[in-house]
Amino acid sequence: MRVYRDDQKFLQFRINAVLWGIVAAFVFLAGSFWFVQGVQAEKYRGLSEANALREIEIPAKRGLIMDRNGKILADNQPAYSLQIDRVVMKPLLKADKQRRQRLEAFLSLVLEIPQQELTARWDKEAAKLPATQPFTIAEDLSMAQVAKIQAQSIAFPEVHVMPVQRRNYAYGTMAAHVLGFIGEVGDKELAQNEALEQGDLIGKRGVELMYDQYLRGKDGAEFWEYDADGRRLSEYVPARQNPIPGDNIYLTLDFELQRRAEQYFIENEMVGAAVVLDPRNGEVLAMVSSPAFNPNVYSKRFTPETWKTITSNPFKIELNRAIQGLYSPGSVFKIVMAMAGLSEGAVGPETDFGCGGSGVFFGRRFRCWKKEGHGSVDVERALKVSCDIYFYQTGARLGVDKIKEYANRLTFGEISHIDLDGERSGLVPSTKWRAEHPVKGDPKWYPAETISVSIGQGPLIVTPLQVANMTAAVANGGKVFQPHVVRYVDRVQRDGSYKRFRVPSRVIHEVELSPSALRAVRQGLWDVVNAQGGTGGNARVPGLDVAGKTGSVQVIAYSGWIKATSLPFKFRDHAWFASFAPANNPQMVVVVFVEHGGAGGADAAPLAKLLFESRFRDKVGGTRLDLSNPETLEQIKEGELPLPTTR
Amino acid sequence: MIFRERVTPNVDLNFLGTAIVLAIIGCMLVYSATFFNEPNLGTFKRQMLWVAIGIALAIIILFVDYHVLFDVAPILYGIGIILLIYLLIWGQLTANVKSWIRIGGFQFQPSEFMKVFTALMLARYFDSNDRAYLDMRSFLVVMGIIGLPVVLIAVQPDFGTAASFAPLVAVAMFFGGIRPRVWAAMILIVAISLPIGWSMFLKPYQRERVLIFLNPERDPRGDGYQVIQAKIAIGSGGIHGKGFTRGTQGKFGFIPEHHTDFIFAVLGEEWGFVGVVVVLGLYLYLIVQAMTFAKHARDRGGTFLIICLISFFIFHILINVSMQIGILPTTGIPLPLISYGGSSTMMFFIAIGLIANVDMRRFVNA
Repeated sequence: MRVYRDDQKFLQFRINAVLWGIVAAFVFLAGSFWFVQGVQAEKYRGLSEANALREIEIPAKRGLIMDRNGKILADNQPAYSLQIDRVVMKPLLKADKQRRQRLEAFLSLVLEIPQQELTARWDKEAAKLPATQPFTIAEDLSMAQVAKIQAQSIAFPEVHVMPVQRRNYAYGTMAAHVLGFIGEVGDKELAQNEALEQGDLIGKRGVELMYDQYLRGKDGAEFWEYDADGRRLSEYVPARQNPIPGDNIYLTLDFELQRRAEQYFIENEMVGAAVVLDPRNGEVLAMVSSPAFNPNVYSKRFTPETWKTITSNPFKIELNRAIQGLYSPGSVFKIVMAMAGLSEGAVGPETDFGCGGSGVFFGRRFRCWKKEGHGSVDVERALKVSCDIYFYQTGARLGVDKIKEYANRLTFGEISHIDLDGERSGLVPSTKWRAEHPVKGDPKWYPAETISVSIGQGPLIVTPLQVANMTAAVANGGKVFQPHVVRYVDRVQRDGSYKRFRVPSRVIHEVELSPSALRAVRQGLWDVVNAQGGTGGNARVPGLDVAGKTGSVQVIAYSGWIKATSLPFKFRDHAWFASFAPANNPQMVVVVFVEHGGAGGADAAPLAKLLFESRFRDKVGGTRLDLSNPETLEQIKEGELPLPTTR
Repeated sequence: MIFRERVTPNVDLNFLGTAIVLAIIGCMLVYSATFFNEPNLGTFKRQMLWVAIGIALAIIILFVDYHVLFDVAPILYGIGIILLIYLLIWGQLTANVKSWIRIGGFQFQPSEFMKVFTALMLARYFDSNDRAYLDMRSFLVVMGIIGLPVVLIAVQPDFGTAASFAPLVAVAMFFGGIRPRVWAAMILIVAISLPIGWSMFLKPYQRERVLIFLNPERDPRGDGYQVIQAKIAIGSGGIHGKGFTRGTQGKFGFIPEHHTDFIFAVLGEEWGFVGVVVVLGLYLYLIVQAMTFAKHARDRGGTFLIICLISFFIFHILINVSMQIGILPTTGIPLPLISYGGSSTMMFFIAIGLIANVDMRRFVNA
């Protein structure tokens, strides 16, 4: 094949060809720009003017949170924030270098904040947003402050008073742990959710957090025209995007039950929790954790002092004891033991273990709480008098792993996926668990330990909600529902009407119980409250069949038989009461837990009685909570709970 | 010794001056685009520094005979390849791309400097190859020289920069010479591989870009938004423009990337059609001068070095200016000497220095 040598002339020809091509391309480009800048200039000039609009966010109204009957628990109230607009300020600053200092001095005077703090806030908040966005320097202005600032609006045009919506919990601490609170979005949340922007307020706990995507709504925008120097001219109305308000949420909580339960804890200066469930669908009718925090504190700008008050509170007011408090169940666990024993055939409804006040199991002597013993006990009587010996026997026959199997099915040892954050699972021991968590290197579970678990002591720990789930299962014949605090979510439609989304009831576990076993357990629980010598007589409601079980949990180990009330507060027993009514057609489950309450029958049962009376007042002639009494309302609105003192 | 050559009187000051005028216009535009949001003028000051360093580099390069550079070209090329491999293995992700190397407080993109090294390598090859048409072996060598860095950059994955090596391929084929029947074969291959590449190699966001380019209304608030806003800026500038720092599109942030890829839109807004024509004229003048140098170069290597380097300018200018008004889709390709950016400003000034270098030594007995 011939090889053609390139020559200089041919190369130059190619260079020239390319050059002409480039000239043509440049002419074409210049022509295109002529078309845009010459021919179409007017069109684009109009668009550019519309574009000199700056977007000002209009925050969406957060959805309301109401009780099951529509009583508003969380709403939004108008408040005023102070914003600084750097776009307006820039040219003014050029003319007057001292302007920022003068402005800060003025604001310091009006807001009664030291000027150094104002300077620090300015630098911090200004750094968060681009210079084209106004930043907030103060919140919750009083009307007097607003008036003073507006009076100087000509001298300081860069200062805007912005009407904003402030989250308001009308009843202060009421249902605080269920409602939760809101706060400014954090970096982690920003990274996880693209819909969020710096400075947004979002739910941080409780329903506010769990249902945040419904409550939040969608922010809108206003467009304001500015000239090239950054002076604000007027709003460009056609571009306005109205915000879409958040969905309204109806809780399953019943205002009256919630209120009565909270008052009981406040009036008796008790620390503890109460859970009221509907055993037919898992709706939470009341959930109390006392003492509670005031969520309104969180909707405002934090001062170091408020933060300190919250974190340093000795009663851990942020803890939702109903789902996060872990306690030994004590005698209320005997209900689980009775169900497991009867279902497994370890005991029959007629099986009778004699009780002589103590018994020897696996080489160790265990005492019944009653020194004299209970004599002849079958399952009904064992529940009624809370005989320990009977359940030691049952536990010895079942073994710890069978107990765990039943406990798990009743949600002990696992979370029930209630629609609240931070639910804890507690612990149900087993041989496998011990193998994974050996005591001083010993991985063996000793049968004698099973005896303690049989009466709800030992490593076994539960939450009040789990006890309520279990009680509901006994009440409804073995179904464990996924408990929930939200009943429905109402979404506003384009035409202004609401579309309702119901939170469904879901069965998460089912325990097979023979009718005879169920009858025996229910009879025993009815006896606890209604029969002579039952431990729960304080919950008796004339005209209503209440069934229940008391429990007292030793906080410290003490040997022998000691009268609990003789001990100092922090060493006193925890008190439990788990109950449902009406016994033959259960519609309501009440579980009360009082920390260091002493005895379940004396301290926890009266609240159950109060709640049953309230709920079934038509039947038993109870009274409604008087909310028209202004004194009561004032107390609710202020919201700061008197903290229980050590007795 | 290089100083004995006394070459400085032969430097074409018109050429260097054109480049410097463009860089000064660039600094003014960067100021105009960023002063509003950046009271400390950090971006503007950095760009001034890059331009100063770039001019210094261009002048230093004048003193080194480009034949010496041909001799060390394989070493430079090798260092560049090593840096690119280093990036792939140890590089840190910035905006999902591993393209930056940090040394102390400074960071740079080796891929930008790789453009110059590849051009040197290619010119060196053509210096000794004077066939009118590339045979298969030399074609593969040329494609290998260009292909290696392109592949390494494409897997960073920085497709914009990888694509900016395309002018070298065009130079190699058009000036290196390809037989007509090979042209036909290649066109056929491209026609077949285009749909395959579309479905297999383009990432969804890249496909979306092409689709939005074909129909900007597809996404007026997203990718198409950039072009719409840039067009509004340019169009509203009209014939005379709104005046220095008087544009609203740029400083209020309506044009994204207003100091880098879309800086030409700021020019169009503030200086109008007059400014656009002046800048395009300066660019054309720069290109015509460089092409004239190429014709008069002392040897084939010099000619090819100039053509390779100026092809980068031509490619960047045509693509960048076209995308401002939506003639071509939006890609991350900066405007030579004007867009903000350390690595690219320095790279283009080095290229300017090399082109002047070749021109300076056009006389055999200088």
